[in-house]
Amino acid sequence: MSASVRRLLALAEWAGAVRVAAGGRGLDREVRRVSPITDPGAEHPLTAGELLTVVGPVDPGDWRLDALLRRAADAGGAAVLYRERGGEDVPLLATRMLADRLGMPLLVTGAGPLDLVVAARLALAVPELDGAELVMAAHRALGTRLHPPQEVAATLRALFHAPVAVLDERGEPLAGELAEPSQVRVDGPVPQRVELADGVLLAHPVLLPGATRPALWLATEVRGAEAAAAGILPPALAVAAGAVQRWLLAHRLETERDARTRTALLGDLLRLDGEPSADLRRRAADAGWPLGGWHVGIRVGTPSTLDNVARGPEVTRALRAEGIEAVVVEHGAGWTAWTTFDHEPTATRVRTLAAGLRAAHRELQRTMGAHMGVGRPHPLPDGLAGTIAEATDAARLAATRPETGRFLHVDQLGMAQLLLEWTRTDTFEPAARALLSPLHGIPGDLIHTLAAYLDAESSLAETAAVLGVHRNTVAARIDRVEHLLGVSLTHRDDRLALHLACRTVILAEE
Amino acid sequence: MRIAMPEVAALERGVSLLGSGGGGDTITAAALLRRQLAAGREITVTSCGELPPSAGVAPVGVVGATAVFTEKLPGGGEFRAAVAAMERWTGTPVAAAVSIEIGGLNGIIPLVAAADLGLATVDADLSGRGVPRLDQLSVAAVGRGLTPAVLAEPGGQVVLIDGGSAAEVERAARVFLAGTGGWAALVLAPVPAGELPGCAVLGTLGGALSLGRRALAAGENPDPAALAAATGGRVLALGRVAEVSRRLGPARYGRAGFGRGSVTVEDHATKELLRLEMENEYLLALRDGTPVASTPDILAVLDRRTGAPILCDVVRHGVEVAVLQLPAAPFWTDPARLPVLAPRAFGIDADPVLLPAAGGRATGRRLLPGPA
Repeated sequence: MSASVRRLLALAEWAGAVRVAAGGRGLDREVRRVSPITDPGAEHPLTAGELLTVVGPVDPGDWRLDALLRRAADAGGAAVLYRERGGEDVPLLATRMLADRLGMPLLVTGAGPLDLVVAARLALAVPELDGAELVMAAHRALGTRLHPPQEVAATLRALFHAPVAVLDERGEPLAGELAEPSQVRVDGPVPQRVELADGVLLAHPVLLPGATRPALWLATEVRGAEAAAAGILPPALAVAAGAVQRWLLAHRLETERDARTRTALLGDLLRLDGEPSADLRRRAADAGWPLGGWHVGIRVGTPSTLDNVARGPEVTRALRAEGIEAVVVEHGAGWTAWTTFDHEPTATRVRTLAAGLRAAHRELQRTMGAHMGVGRPHPLPDGLAGTIAEATDAARLAATRPETGRFLHVDQLGMAQLLLEWTRTDTFEPAARALLSPLHGIPGDLIHTLAAYLDAESSLAETAAVLGVHRNTVAARIDRVEHLLGVSLTHRDDRLALHLACRTVILAEE
Repeated sequence: MRIAMPEVAALERGVSLLGSGGGGDTITAAALLRRQLAAGREITVTSCGELPPSAGVAPVGVVGATAVFTEKLPGGGEFRAAVAAMERWTGTPVAAAVSIEIGGLNGIIPLVAAADLGLATVDADLSGRGVPRLDQLSVAAVGRGLTPAVLAEPGGQVVLIDGGSAAEVERAARVFLAGTGGWAALVLAPVPAGELPGCAVLGTLGGALSLGRRALAAGENPDPAALAAATGGRVLALGRVAEVSRRLGPARYGRAGFGRGSVTVEDHATKELLRLEMENEYLLALRDGTPVASTPDILAVLDRRTGAPILCDVVRHGVEVAVLQLPAAPFWTDPARLPVLAPRAFGIDADPVLLPAAGGRATGRRLLPGPA
């Protein structure tokens, strides 16, 4: 730490005891060290910022004072101080002229030079002591248990007596307040010091392991006279950033664990065939998921690179902002969600819901490349799987349809429109043909059998009736279809794709 | 070589330059020399080689307070008494005289004494410049010793010191001088002419004369470059004396030491501060705090207008001066002898800073020819 010569002269121990004999032009020189030497000619390797104090008796006419001034000036020293012997013991004019010429302060004292050295050294150490104290205080306040970022910001605000804020990765304040948070350059994962018009802005990044971009920032603004002492804050800021990082990591661990449980539970619900077991019902109740009532499934798809565990709360927030209380589960690349009504929702309510969802989707699209699909209302636990399946299909379609804002709501009319629009595209028909091409030229009219089978909701008996063949024939053909296409017709994605493909190919033939 | 009336001024200028600010005022000595010449005496300067090797050459000079020498003039018999005492004590006739110190009045007085005694003067001296103490003379520096030494003061007292180291002779002489008239004629044991080259600085009388001629030829208000060229040295500063400070030096032999002081010249062109540390001579020059020149090189402070050297004890504030550094006699730059006249010999804790000696002799820039 350092101070100017002028500042040392203002110390209680120095004021009145030390006078500037010459070289006043250099009073703003920076003092980094205060060293005692025995006499002006003493062997002493001089360093920049050194204030040399001659503690032994000095003859004011000693030429070595001149030489010392020169050596101090050459080494970038701060000043030369010596003790006068008697009252009228002024340095030679030559020495004073030299000090003036070199701009090297020549200080004279009548007091004990060693006391002055001690006082100056203590004064130089004060910022370091303050800094150490601040780090200790920050550690005491934040070191032992986990604190959410809001609490960390509040603690620092009290320690720094200055505004402190937690900024998110885009530089928006999450907690606390800052006048100029936009000054933080959020892309660089290094501590920053930004000079403001009347102060200084200090920011420390909170980095998660393996990440190149900071997850959060801790920033403070020091203004006015306090800004000069801002140098002591960064270490304490780093300690606090450590606390925030710990909180993030612990929190993340919790959410990850939670997300995995929820994803597993959702998987079990979607595979549900008939009434849920008591165990499943209990697990759903523990998670706070309503299984009774009417459900409307929602699927939010995202690019697979998106961290859906960390950003799940954003989805909940966006839905809640539209007055929609929904269960949101991290699922594949994105989220699967549903909202539940006690009774069958009226058409108006469904429309209101859809409008709300569309708004929420627009909000989400601002920060992530999300597409959304919404299913029809279905009752009871098995209805949940149905509406989610619809929502998932719709979302898949929505992803490819920018003209609908990458949002699709499956209601009856919508479904028909969807199919029509879908099959009219130039890209789909060749794709459908390609998909079904392995079935061409195989005996047994496999395409029509598959279409009828899917139209009959996978009922062998129904299909046999429609086609006028034996149900075993239908079963054999369907087996062959699955074998040739390498798909399983129990998989809803495959089923939907094949269903659409069949329709398209048959429509094209007609 | 003869010294006639026209040469006196040049000799005077030369010896005062070589005094390095010390050696005493030369006016009285020059007046005495002129009087001898006016009385028709011949002043002969002979080279060492011209004398038979066994011829006794007695080093002579004035010691003590040179300022008193001007006030309390010699009676004329001091050197005769001293030489007689030396001849009686050693039983060796004195065939010629040699100056103990070319710088200052002792560069001239031996000529006066020799003329008075009817002796020749050898073109050499025991200092090559001005030196303050007897134990710094060349004979002491080469370990030859000073004794026996005779001191004859103007009051008629004659003292012969025999035995003891050079430092002890110096001490005894100071005690005697303090108790008597302040100055005395000094005659040291005669050195056989053949041994002189090994213990004296040769050619210095002729060198001083030539230096003086060249310095005078540079004229009044000399150009600094011309001055440096004429004297074979370099100009350290051209400016005004900003401060002269005098103080007591450290005590020596239980008595107050020589007065110390410093002279600071502010260079007009560069504004650099040239500080000269002095005792009886100018010993060390610092430019802005950095040592740039020191004894045994000769530091001369010249009156800017007349070009005349200004002695340490008369330099004063406000004078316009040129500060010159002239090279030391090679006798002193020999590493074995350097410590005798280096700054530390004067209590100044600094390394010698000398003009480069390499090639000096070859280019003829050396002021004084070295020993043969």
